[in-house]
Amino acid sequence: MRYIRDTLALLATCALLQSGPVYAQDASTKITDDPLELTIHFHFRDKYVYTEDWPVEKKAAEWTGIHVKNVASLATSSSRDAFNLLMASGNLPDIVGGDVTGGLKDDFIRYGMEGAFMPLDDLIEQNAPNLRKFFDEHPIVRQAISAPDGHIYFIPYVPEGEFSRAWFIRRDWLDKLGLKVPENVDELYTVLKAFREKDPNGNGKKDEVPYFAREPIEAVRLINMWDARVSGSERYGDFMIEDGNVVHPWTTPNYRTGISKVAQWFKEGLIDTEVFTRGARVREYMLGNNIGGMTHDWFASTSNYTDALKDSVPGIDFAPMLPPKTVSGKRFEDSRRATVQPAGWAISYSNQHPVETIKYFDFWFSEKGRILSNWGIEGETYDMVDGKPVYTQTVLHNSKPVNAQMWEIGAGVPRGYWAAYASEEQWTNKMALDGIAMYEKEPDLLQPEFTGVSMNSDERAVYDKYWPSLLTYMMEMQQTWVLGAQDVDASWDGYVARLDQLGYAKVTEVMQAAYDRQYGKN
Amino acid sequence: MIAGYFKRLGEDLRKDWQLYLLILPMLLWFMLFLYKPMEGLQIAFKDFSPFRGIAGSPWVGLENFRTLLGDQIFIRAFLNTITISGLGLIFAFPVPIVLAIMFNELQSELGRRFSQTIVYLPHFISVVIVAGIVINLLSPTTGVVNLILSSLGLERVYFLTQPEWFRTVFIGSNIWKEAGFESIVYLAAIAGISPTLYESARVDGASRWQMMWRITLPCILPTIIIMLIIRIGNLVEVGFEYIILLYQPATYRTADVVSTYVYRTGLQGTQYDLATAAGLFNAVIAFALVFAANRISRKVSTTSLW
Repeated sequence: MRYIRDTLALLATCALLQSGPVYAQDASTKITDDPLELTIHFHFRDKYVYTEDWPVEKKAAEWTGIHVKNVASLATSSSRDAFNLLMASGNLPDIVGGDVTGGLKDDFIRYGMEGAFMPLDDLIEQNAPNLRKFFDEHPIVRQAISAPDGHIYFIPYVPEGEFSRAWFIRRDWLDKLGLKVPENVDELYTVLKAFREKDPNGNGKKDEVPYFAREPIEAVRLINMWDARVSGSERYGDFMIEDGNVVHPWTTPNYRTGISKVAQWFKEGLIDTEVFTRGARVREYMLGNNIGGMTHDWFASTSNYTDALKDSVPGIDFAPMLPPKTVSGKRFEDSRRATVQPAGWAISYSNQHPVETIKYFDFWFSEKGRILSNWGIEGETYDMVDGKPVYTQTVLHNSKPVNAQMWEIGAGVPRGYWAAYASEEQWTNKMALDGIAMYEKEPDLLQPEFTGVSMNSDERAVYDKYWPSLLTYMMEMQQTWVLGAQDVDASWDGYVARLDQLGYAKVTEVMQAAYDRQYGKN
Repeated sequence: MIAGYFKRLGEDLRKDWQLYLLILPMLLWFMLFLYKPMEGLQIAFKDFSPFRGIAGSPWVGLENFRTLLGDQIFIRAFLNTITISGLGLIFAFPVPIVLAIMFNELQSELGRRFSQTIVYLPHFISVVIVAGIVINLLSPTTGVVNLILSSLGLERVYFLTQPEWFRTVFIGSNIWKEAGFESIVYLAAIAGISPTLYESARVDGASRWQMMWRITLPCILPTIIIMLIIRIGNLVEVGFEYIILLYQPATYRTADVVSTYVYRTGLQGTQYDLATAAGLFNAVIAFALVFAANRISRKVSTTSLW
């Protein structure tokens, strides 16, 4: 069976090599004059499937002549399950894609090397001018999605923009207590202490929660103040790169200091006692009840609370502030937008029209395709103003968020496409835009992002064997320390020794090898 | 010999065909859903890739088992499973028996029905909701339990982040949820006791207490033993849904069990081969335990599953 698949893939590749270079015409986006139907399995975010009923996809079909027909079932409420079941069936449609829990990048690469998906490099080189241009201009994206064998097996969803999250603080509370925005760790301590002690909400009760957090990744974000990082990427507990070395942030000396200080602040009541069990609706709860003082969260969504709550919580001003200077005197923002999302689509081995398919993928990276995939339909959801797409007033002033409206028509969905930050900017509120501008003005605020490594099967075997238990143990100790069940200094040596027993050195070794291969030794 | 067996089977089939017809769906169900999938167990000995399929994945011998047994987190999860089930056996197993006997002793028919319904009800609540109730009750700031503690002048306890409290919370809430429903089996057993036994005891002047100890309990003992053996078979199995809803990294030390381990590494990390190996390992231990329990029970009480 394996051989048949390999042979088929090989034949298909040969066929397109012989067909020679084909140049895209600028004027026309038509790929084929006879309408061509391609099947697609694309289950995403646990509740949606790709569909040609979307106005955006209809437009794409009209322009390209390619019609995609979804074969994914909506019967399952797990995109991960849908993808795994498809792979296990071995019977793949022309295009496979999606956006699933844990990401599909590793799957695309692993199954690609096993023969399930076609390597796309030659196809792109010969048939996809827009993709080629994109990858030439963004070599980091190409590196980040390359397989250990050097090939590209999928076209990813590429976000745009730099800043994702920020520190938010109740500026009205600061004014009330006669304090200014904290500039460094000591001032931050004073502010949080004052939030706790001096009843800024004025209800006579000591019910203020100085720092609260919505996601696990934010619960210990204050370790930043001691130069420690929570994660090298937007993924909780990910590795980071330090001087070209793959290191886990939770093994560094700074982490040791940071986590012991955070434990101290937790004990003093400066951090929400229930920070680990509060759950996803904590912002509504903390801000709505006028008890939360500070958090670290997304720019856009968090900025909306001040507007939304201005009637029920009079005077609320929950606004972004710059990261306070750390103990070493520098400022940094730990989080940033991912360079590449582990989502997108790939061409399966059995696809009989790889050239048309890659041209279809390429269409979404053309100017026309990019506007279509971000702003939707001209005249309906956006208009061209001074040569630039701008959302219509109806879209901007709808009670539904703009991104939700876009998803409904098939724009902004995690197909292999290049998101345009300009579209998001048009519906971000002023507070967030000002905050982002403030962050942008500050030099070198962002930390280098760990964009992941592609491991070969031997490396992956080592990683799979040790990593899950290592992460389990590190998370366990992190909470144990913060909750004060164990003293950091007393148990640190034991922690390091245990990590070693659990295979930390082996995991970093294989990741380092993969990293050096993928990004080049420097 | 064999011919004779088939001849007897044929006669039996003809005579009791209605009974065999009744058992047929169950047999089919076993075949399709329990015996057929067993061929999938071979992936525990393979380096499994869904795309390559079961047949196309290479054999790796006992590699997956070696990985498991070499992993301290798995060993800990295994020991936690045994501890939680063991404590459950000690504390939770007797509760439905006690409940059944208490219901049986209730004089008022109305009171009995009412209290039975009350204790059955939690069984029908989804674990997600039960976990939500537990989390709210035990919240350190707004939970009822902590409000009571602090009004008594005691210190507030953040139960769900303390490994020492996890088993208590888990087993305690499980008793609340399941004990009532499990008492049905014992109530049925009690209903099957011949009333003549009680009548003659009453004639002999036995007290209610004596009747309970000398008649009710001995008569339902076979049921208790069978339930115990079944329970021992499930000793290495702790359902993962409820644990996942209640546990935190901070409580992994006592809360992480084999099924949650399998969930994290096997399903979230898509290592089906490893997850299958863990499941198989569990099943073998469970089988040994049931076998042993059955042996002992046959020796000691002459009641046994087979």
